[in-house]
Amino acid sequence: MNEIDRREFIRRMILLALGATAASSGLARCGSPSVPTAAPTIPPLATATPMSTLPAATAAGPTPTGQPPAPATGDAYLAVARGDSPTALVQAAIRAIGGIERFVKPGADVIIKPNICVAYHGPEYAATTNPEVVGALVALCLGAGARRVRVMDNPFGGSPEAAYARSGVADAVKAAGGQMEIMSEMKYATAPIPQGKDLKQIRIYRDALDADVFINVPIAKDHGLARLTLGMKNLLGVIWDRPAMHRNMGQRIAELTSLVRPTLTVVDAVRILMANGPTGGNLADVKQTNTIIASADIVAADAYATSLFGLTPTDVSYIPAAAKMGLGTMDLAGVRVEEIGV
Amino acid sequence: MTAKTWRRARQAVQILAAVLFVYLLLGTRQGLPTFLPHDLFFRLDPLVGVAAMLAGRRWIAALALGLATLALAVLAGRAWCGWLCPLGAALDWTRPRLSREGDPRGNWRSAKHGLLLVILFAALLGNLTLLVLDPLTILFRTMAAAVLPAVNALLTAAESALYAIGPLQRPLEWVDRVLRGAGLVGGEPAFQQGVVLALVFAGVLALNAVRPRFWCRYLCPLGALLGLVSKVSFLRHHADADACVACGKCARACPTGTVDPARGYAADPSECTLCLDCAAVCPTNAVAFRWHLVPAGWREYDPSRRQALLSLGVAVAGVGLLRAAPAARRDHPRLIRPPGARENGLLDKCIRCGECMKVCPTSGLQPSLDVAGLEGLWTPVLVPRLGYCDYSCHSCGQACPTGAIPPLSLDDKRRAVIGVAYIDENRCIPWADGADCIVCEEMCPVPDKAIQLDVQTVARPDGTVAEVRRPRVIRERCIGCGICEYKCPLNGEAAIRVYAP
Ligand code: SF4
Ligand code: SF4
Repeated sequence: MNEIDRREFIRRMILLALGATAASSGLARCGSPSVPTAAPTIPPLATATPMSTLPAATAAGPTPTGQPPAPATGDAYLAVARGDSPTALVQAAIRAIGGIERFVKPGADVIIKPNICVAYHGPEYAATTNPEVVGALVALCLGAGARRVRVMDNPFGGSPEAAYARSGVADAVKAAGGQMEIMSEMKYATAPIPQGKDLKQIRIYRDALDADVFINVPIAKDHGLARLTLGMKNLLGVIWDRPAMHRNMGQRIAELTSLVRPTLTVVDAVRILMANGPTGGNLADVKQTNTIIASADIVAADAYATSLFGLTPTDVSYIPAAAKMGLGTMDLAGVRVEEIGV
Repeated sequence: MTAKTWRRARQAVQILAAVLFVYLLLGTRQGLPTFLPHDLFFRLDPLVGVAAMLAGRRWIAALALGLATLALAVLAGRAWCGWLCPLGAALDWTRPRLSREGDPRGNWRSAKHGLLLVILFAALLGNLTLLVLDPLTILFRTMAAAVLPAVNALLTAAESALYAIGPLQRPLEWVDRVLRGAGLVGGEPAFQQGVVLALVFAGVLALNAVRPRFWCRYLCPLGALLGLVSKVSFLRHHADADACVACGKCARACPTGTVDPARGYAADPSECTLCLDCAAVCPTNAVAFRWHLVPAGWREYDPSRRQALLSLGVAVAGVGLLRAAPAARRDHPRLIRPPGARENGLLDKCIRCGECMKVCPTSGLQPSLDVAGLEGLWTPVLVPRLGYCDYSCHSCGQACPTGAIPPLSLDDKRRAVIGVAYIDENRCIPWADGADCIVCEEMCPVPDKAIQLDVQTVARPDGTVAEVRRPRVIRERCIGCGICEYKCPLNGEAAIRVYAP
């Protein structure tokens, strides 16, 4: 009797499991009937172009090419703050481009994406984003009434736990009231890239597209192939297959940018890494520049950051590629840049 | 306490010990726990202790706890096997109800003594290969390199499938955080031979169907060692002839089949695991466990001089053959040992436990099948295509119970050269195709980069001329960590590969 019951139980469990699998794959397909892939697919969401949700964008009128929002009158298009306190730099730069309230509405779900590429060195080696900068951003977002602020990256060298800890970012985020999130494999899905020519679709962290606000906080540093890793290069942290991006890198990074469209880019140039990037490890390669660059236009922010290395935007292949796709401007003469001493 | 209560107490202790084993196993990860040694069970295992000390010809303080287990055997025989051994518990829990009584014909029980003697003689000759058959190494290795990776893969697959269902996302995030945060699973461990290891373990369990606790009766070398010490144990099984009604229930209940009706239902203390199953089934309470002072007699299956000589011969011949094997003459080009282990002479110190493979965050440390020769079966080797040596990690040296992998500081580990990288110019994208790549250079963790990029103007295969950056390895800077090989974007074999230094 007992035996039969157990067998029956197992039979039912198997049927249930099969049913659940069928249901889940069915649901996944309903979500996006257009893309014929086996992997679960994210429907192109409104939030994937976050600028459409911003009042400033409405004021300027959302452009079909996805041009970044023009700031309200009086606000800078791009702000550069210089001074000793990273926290004060972040606050001043954000204030200059319209204040955090322009980007973070009460109740917003915010993701902050610093560069925590390896677990090897402390922040003084300038391989990972300055923890104070990240902490200051978390505090600003929470102050603006964000529902939650999550901070994440997917390191290529070492475990995320170790990298979060060694970079100092985990402590700073916790102190500011935010959460560190380990990027779990289940949350990656394949999304189409509507503007993509070389990349038609990509396996990407869902939340990077679904969050109300995505704040990109790269550290400016040297890179062997791209010359520099800046805001757009930092977006490689939210996709699954990074090595694939090394072919035709400039164009592919630009196309990835067209999908992610960060709400805001804050380039950490408190310390910059001049050579042997992106991993670093040698203090002699680190330059203290005490600078923060902020803009809603990721292309403009990256374009400005090249000047810290004595380069021009055209030296970094993904900047002209993104400008050509209409993702922003690399011509800083045409926009209002505010330089602030703090 | 009645016999039944004692038996329940034994079952409770067994569960606790098994839970502790699994807990420590899960705790063996980067940033090791400090309150209990994560390798407690190996420290308690006198077989690995004695063998490692014989082979290394040195006192290993960490393994001195094995003396406590031997003392326990003097006190209460093979109580370790019935109460504490987690493999024994697994065997009890998977025992089919219908299994045959009595021993097969012939002295099968002596097989374990033969194995024990061969292990000890081989250890004297500096060889530890057969510790792959220690019960704790079997269990740990199987859990670390087969069971947990399988659990991890299933969890990831289930999570990914269910995550497509919207309402399940929040609960799944919670489950994911709890399970992975607790260290139950983590990373994406993948081990070569996981299936083989699982089959070996399944075989040990399946033998239960031939005879209950087949492994413990006939094969276990640790059981053999404890059994021999138990010849002088104090606390022993005793059948009261006056109360006994010769119903035979105890003989049928005994999982090790050592209660012998022909000897008045007496048990051999070196086979009895003090499990109390006999006492619990006796209708007249004729079975008791009492103190004895006289050593137990030698049985026909106990080691004889002949068996000892035969074992010595097997050990000498075996070690001789292994030393004459090609692997002993020249290292396999891909024999990349964990940091510091090569200089340390890993082979005669490694007890094959698998702690290092469990702790390695990238699962780059793999059980060797052939690159270390038969002698080095299931010793750790770095397989860079499966996982790299993390520049921020020095866990394997901290986890190794015997110091076979030296406990290097992180700074020393970062300088320890475990291999050297070579570029295969026939496959490398910039060399062979004239297109940019540089992933290896990007990944190289040494501060001044052991890979340099030379900008060169080259003719591409299609005849066009282009400027490409070609990677070149600077040997003196390379530590052989293997992240370049791991991340090389080519399919199949990488275009940059790490070889033994
Ligand atoms: S081989 Fe390297 S990564 Fe693996 S445990 Fe040892 S030190 Fe850590
Ligand atoms: S093995 Fe590769 S990545 Fe590691 S140090 Fe050598 S060249 Fe650099």
